[in-house]
Amino acid sequence: MKTKKVGTIVLLVLVVFIPWFNMDTSNDYSIPKVSQEDTSFYEVYPCKISLTEFILSNPESIYQNHFYFRPDNRSSIQCFGRVSGVTVLQKGLVTQFFISVGTSSLINLLLQAFIWIALFSFIPKNTDIEKNKDVFKYKNLIILLTAYLLTFSIYAESRFYEKQLYLVDFQEIKSYGLIFLIFTLVIKNFVETFVNRSENIVNYLPYLYLVTGLFSGFNLSFFAIIFLYFGLQSNLIGIKNKLFSYTYIIISIWWLFNSKGSAFFNVGKLRGFTSSIFEFNANLFWIVFTYFLIKGIWRIYILNKNSFRFSLFTKNLSITSAILLTLGVVSANLPIFNFINYYVLGLQRYGVESKTPFAFDEYAVKISWRGIFPSSETIGEFYGLCLLCLMFYVFNTSKVKLVHYVGIFTSSLGLYFSDNRTAMTLIFISSLVYFFAIRKNNIKINRSKIMYSLPIIFTFIYFIQSNISTNGYEFMSESVIAKTFTFQKEYALSSFSTLITSPDVSSVISFVFGFISFLGYILNRSEMWGFFTARYNPTFNELLFGSGPLNFGQLYGEIPVNSPESLLLPHSSVLSYLVFIGLIPIGVLLFIFLKDLYVNRANSELLLFSIYIFINIFKNDSMNYFSPFVMYTTLYLFLRSKKDLLNFGKSSSQ
Amino acid sequence: MAEISNICGVQPEGFVKIDISSDPNFVFENDLNYAAKQLFDGEGNTVFVNSYLECQHYVLGGWDYTPLKNSEVLLQESLLYVVVALLAITFVKNTAARFIKR
Repeated sequence: MKTKKVGTIVLLVLVVFIPWFNMDTSNDYSIPKVSQEDTSFYEVYPCKISLTEFILSNPESIYQNHFYFRPDNRSSIQCFGRVSGVTVLQKGLVTQFFISVGTSSLINLLLQAFIWIALFSFIPKNTDIEKNKDVFKYKNLIILLTAYLLTFSIYAESRFYEKQLYLVDFQEIKSYGLIFLIFTLVIKNFVETFVNRSENIVNYLPYLYLVTGLFSGFNLSFFAIIFLYFGLQSNLIGIKNKLFSYTYIIISIWWLFNSKGSAFFNVGKLRGFTSSIFEFNANLFWIVFTYFLIKGIWRIYILNKNSFRFSLFTKNLSITSAILLTLGVVSANLPIFNFINYYVLGLQRYGVESKTPFAFDEYAVKISWRGIFPSSETIGEFYGLCLLCLMFYVFNTSKVKLVHYVGIFTSSLGLYFSDNRTAMTLIFISSLVYFFAIRKNNIKINRSKIMYSLPIIFTFIYFIQSNISTNGYEFMSESVIAKTFTFQKEYALSSFSTLITSPDVSSVISFVFGFISFLGYILNRSEMWGFFTARYNPTFNELLFGSGPLNFGQLYGEIPVNSPESLLLPHSSVLSYLVFIGLIPIGVLLFIFLKDLYVNRANSELLLFSIYIFINIFKNDSMNYFSPFVMYTTLYLFLRSKKDLLNFGKSSSQ
Repeated sequence: MAEISNICGVQPEGFVKIDISSDPNFVFENDLNYAAKQLFDGEGNTVFVNSYLECQHYVLGGWDYTPLKNSEVLLQESLLYVVVALLAITFVKNTAARFIKR
C-alpha cells in the first residue's frame, strides 16, 4: 500500500514537471536573455524552446516579479510546454515580460485530469466496498451521458472555445468526436477512483478550495463530474424528489422559452461555474448542469450521512488553510510557481502579485490579500469558516492536536490578510455567543421569543430611521440609487432602476429598497449594488422567475452603462440568484431555510454556521464559485442532520 | 480573407482579382516584386507560388496548410488513437478486475 502511494507521488511529480522540458532537439539554439530592447529571438522561434530552457537562460524570471508566465491554450500540441511568445509592456517605470507557454487545451484535459485523479487517489477507500453497491449502478451509462453532456457544453459555448482550442472546427460534428472520447476516458478513470472512495468525499471537501480543478482553456470544473455522476444516478435509479424535480422542470421550460438573442459574458474569475453566453443551448446546458449538481449533492448527503467525521473534516480544513496560505506566499514571490500553481491546481485566476500581505494603502487602509484564491472576500469567508468549525471542535473535545493549532493560526492570519471585516466581526461575536450562552444552554429559542423579538427588531429599524438624523438615514437609504444614476446612461435605463425610482412606486417597495440600500451603505456595497441596479433589466416574468441558472449574459449584455474599468459583480449572492432564479424561488428558498432553522433551533452549531454564511453571501459573490457553493450546501445538510456535534468527533479515529 | 493576408502577405496596390476558374488555360505570370512562397495542402504536398494572384488562388483552393498545421492535424489524429487505446485498456482492465473478484 505504502509502495503504491510512493509510486503515485513519484509519477505525479514526473507528470507535473516533465511537460515543461519539451524541447526541440532537431536544432541547437543559442537562447539569449530576454530584454526590454530585444525579444526578436522569441518572435523568430515561437514554440521552439522549452519553458525549462527559457528559465535556465533567464534564471531571474524565477523570482523577479515583473515576469509573468501565462498559459497559451490556443497553441498546437507540439508547442506544449514551450515558449510560444514573449511580450514586453511598460507599466510606469516597470518593464513587464509576459511569457506565453504553450498549453494545448486538448492535452490539458488529459494531463490535468491525470494530476487530479492521482491526488484524489490519496483519499482513503471505503471500508466496505460491497456495502454501497448502489453507487456502481448504471456506471458505464452514466459515464457516457456525462461525457456527452460535457461535450455538449463545448458546442453550446463554442464562441468561448473558439479562442481556446487550436484547429478545431466547431461546425463539424466529427471535431467533437475526439473531445467526447477524451472526456469519456477522463470520466471513466475518475469514476473508478471516486466510487471506491465515495464515503470519504465529504470529509475531504475543504481541499476543493485548494485544488479548484478547472481545466485550463475550459469553462468546466473537473470535480463537478462527481456531482453530475451522482445526480444522473439518482435519476436513473428512480430516487424521487418529485416536488423539486417538477418545479425545476416547469421553471426550466420558461427559462428555455425565454432564451432569446445572444449575449456574451466574459467569465473571468467565475470560470467553471458560469455560462459564457446567454443563448438557448448554453442555457440548456447550465440548466441541466445545475439540476444534476443539486441532485448530486443531495445524493452524496443521503449516501454518506453516517460517514461524515467532524474531527477529520476540521483536520482537513486546518491543513487546507495552512497550504493555501503557504502557496499564496510562494505564488506571490515566485512567478514561475504562480504559473505552476495555476496550472496544477486548476485555479480560476492567477495568484496575487502583491508580495506583502501586510500592506496598507496611502490612506492607511489594509489592502486585501487573496493568495491563490480568486476572491479575497470568499477566501476570508473560508478562513472564518475554518475558525468557526475549529471553535466547535475545540470547545467540544479534548483531542486537540497540533494540526488544529496550526489551523487556528493560519486561518486567523489568512482572515487578517483577506481583510474580510464582516467575517472577522461575525467570528468574534459567534465565539462570544457560543462560549457564554448557547453552549451552556443559557439561551433557548422558542416561538414566543421569536414573536417577542420581531416587534423589537422593527422598533430598532424605526429607531435607526428616526434617530440617525433624518438626513443621515435618507442619505444612506438613497446611496444605492445615487450610484445607479452615476452608472446609467440617459438613453438606456434599466427596468429595475425605473421601477425603483418611479414616483408611482408603492411606499412598501420604497421602504424595503431604502432599507436594503441603508444596509448596502453600512456594508460598503452602495457602488456595486448601484451598478447592479443600473444594469438589471428584467421583464416582469424574469423578475419573478429569473432567466436561467448561472447565466450572467443577459445582465451584462443588455444595458450599456458607464462602466468602470474592471468587471464588477453584484457583490451579493442574493442579487446574483435573483438574476438566475427570480424573486419567487428565492422567497420560497428563504422561507424553507428560515423554517428549517427554526425546526433545528436546538442545534446551536447549525444556527451559528447558517447565520455566518447567510450574512456573508448576502454581501458577497461566494455562491458564484463552485467550491463555496458545494461546501456550504453540503456542510449545511450535514450539520443539520446532527444535533450533537460531539458524536462526529467521537467516532473518528482517522 | 484574413487567412489569405496571413499566408500571401499584403494585397498589392491596384490588384485586380481575375476569375481563373472560367479560363482553364490560364498561366500565372511571375511577379518579380513578390517573394516566392511555399504552400502546403492537407496531405503534405507542396507548391511554390510566385505572385499574389497565384498565392490567393491556391489558398482559396485549400492550400492553406502550414507545416505546423499539418503536424497539428497529425498529432490530433495520433491523440485520437492514443485515447481510444487507453479507453480500451481501461475497460479491459476493469472488466478483468471484476471477473477476478467473482
